[in-house]
Amino acid sequence: MNSTDTQRPETASRPKRELALVSRSTYLKERALQYLFFACAFLAVVTVVLIFAFTMLQAAPVFTDIGLANFFSLDWAPTEGRFGILSLAAGSALVTAGALVLGVPLGVGTAVYLTEIASARVRAIISPAVDLLAGIPSIIYGFFGMVIIRPFVAEISGGLGFGALTAWLVLAIMIVPTITTLTIDALRSIPMGIREAGFAMGATKWQVIYKVVLPAARFGIVDAIVLGMGRAIGETMAVLMVVGNAPVIPDSVASPISTLTSQIALDMSYSSGLHRTALFGMGVVLFIISASLVGIVRMLSKKRKG
Amino acid sequence: MRTTRGCGDVALTRRGLLAAVLASASLTLLPGCSAAESSEQITVAGSTTCLPIAEIAAEGFKEETGVSVLVSGLGSSAGIEAVSNGTAHIASSSRGLNVEEQKLGLTTIPIAHDGIAVIVNEANPVDNLSVEDLCAIYTGEISNWSEVGGPEMDIQLVNRDEASGTREAFRTIVMGDAHFDRRAAVLPGTGQVRDVVSRSEGAIGYISMGFVDSKYATTTVKALSVNHVEPSEKTIASGGYPVSRDLYFFVKGEPAPSAAAYIDYVLSERMDDMIREAGFIPVARSVSES
Repeated sequence: MNSTDTQRPETASRPKRELALVSRSTYLKERALQYLFFACAFLAVVTVVLIFAFTMLQAAPVFTDIGLANFFSLDWAPTEGRFGILSLAAGSALVTAGALVLGVPLGVGTAVYLTEIASARVRAIISPAVDLLAGIPSIIYGFFGMVIIRPFVAEISGGLGFGALTAWLVLAIMIVPTITTLTIDALRSIPMGIREAGFAMGATKWQVIYKVVLPAARFGIVDAIVLGMGRAIGETMAVLMVVGNAPVIPDSVASPISTLTSQIALDMSYSSGLHRTALFGMGVVLFIISASLVGIVRMLSKKRKG
Repeated sequence: MRTTRGCGDVALTRRGLLAAVLASASLTLLPGCSAAESSEQITVAGSTTCLPIAEIAAEGFKEETGVSVLVSGLGSSAGIEAVSNGTAHIASSSRGLNVEEQKLGLTTIPIAHDGIAVIVNEANPVDNLSVEDLCAIYTGEISNWSEVGGPEMDIQLVNRDEASGTREAFRTIVMGDAHFDRRAAVLPGTGQVRDVVSRSEGAIGYISMGFVDSKYATTTVKALSVNHVEPSEKTIASGGYPVSRDLYFFVKGEPAPSAAAYIDYVLSERMDDMIREAGFIPVARSVSES
């Protein structure tokens, strides 16, 4: 390990090999490891490119055989040749927005409590619980939503209980770990001195939190929210089990809807021809959405540093 | 039996029919080459709905006689074409022959009845719906139980996903050319439909008869009469219950002795319980003669 440190300052002027203050075998081992890890990292890039290329290729007939006017219409009736994804996209947007409205205060609140208020002992209980929440498989969330939350929603709405409202409640819990963990990181990165300066000026704990710490961490928190949003949009199984899968613009938050992801999961098993093409087209739409979310996060963190 | 309702039968494509006719013509020229006589292996091709029955029977038949039966699910139409051009001994089908297929000279052997029960919540006082009401409910035309003699309560539609054979059968028998209401909740399984209906007062759904009284479920649902005929083994077997279909075997001409033995095995009494377990109703011995 030392070799890299010692050789770095002079690499510019002389060839690397001669400079290494280690035996040839150690040098080779180091280089081999370097390439190995590069290969690991490169695999991620290759996978993304391959998946995107494959999805695009499969979705290409959307432009030629289905037509954009058909694809971006409201009517999803694949057996009748109508492949409009707008009602599904609206479903995804509705489900995600509601989940954020409920999940963001919950997640950010948890993070603030854990970093600013909780004692070490309480933190030792809550922190692992939040981590465990992230580890629960989404099908379990879906099952929980279907068996526990759906009848509850059915009771208060008088309907079947399938719909956006149920999905909101399930997704809000699901995105809490993502938002909490990232918000904690953002809050921890605020130097202690800033808080102390606040207290020194006579601010209460609450005033320090919302006038000093939260504004200072705002980019990090938006980061957390955007990633939570990505999780909500991409969630498939849990959503499939609670939204009711009706590809329409809903009458109320408690009537069945469908989302891009759940419709893909539902139809993939039996679709063929143009129907399958449309599903891949929906995949491309989802890909673009999540790519732009990642882009936003990148931009924000650049802003935070700069 | 159900042709009077005018619900569209699946028609063979013209190309498929031509192929079938050509194949049967060539068969008559070369009778000795027919697969039906060449080996001790029986092929059953056709409906995926019939798969459980055909496969259970195939296992039992192999144990008893040592003759292996190759069962494949390609869809009813493909099975009928396969048997008429000689590539399969037996076609299994979840529908009867259409007008064009009736000219192929196939023998029809009903093997089981499959009834689709229309289910509602136990608290729902409605006991009967006509097929027309049912169609109007599933198109969304009727949206309140009071329109069909029930209480003032919204109807909560529960539908199956498009991959479901039950949905396809329900569509063919009840809906005809009409379209399902797209606002209905779409659930991907019989068990889910049953569970949701059992817990929601205004809900209506449809499931295969065999699942109405499930020994694995803790909740109960109520199966409605349709056109004032209660769904039961008897009414489904007699054809009186409208939302039912028959499952068939088709053979061409005189089947090979081993194929005939297999058909006898499927129709024999020891298969009855197996057929019931698969969710279907065995053909009553007296009825199968007609």
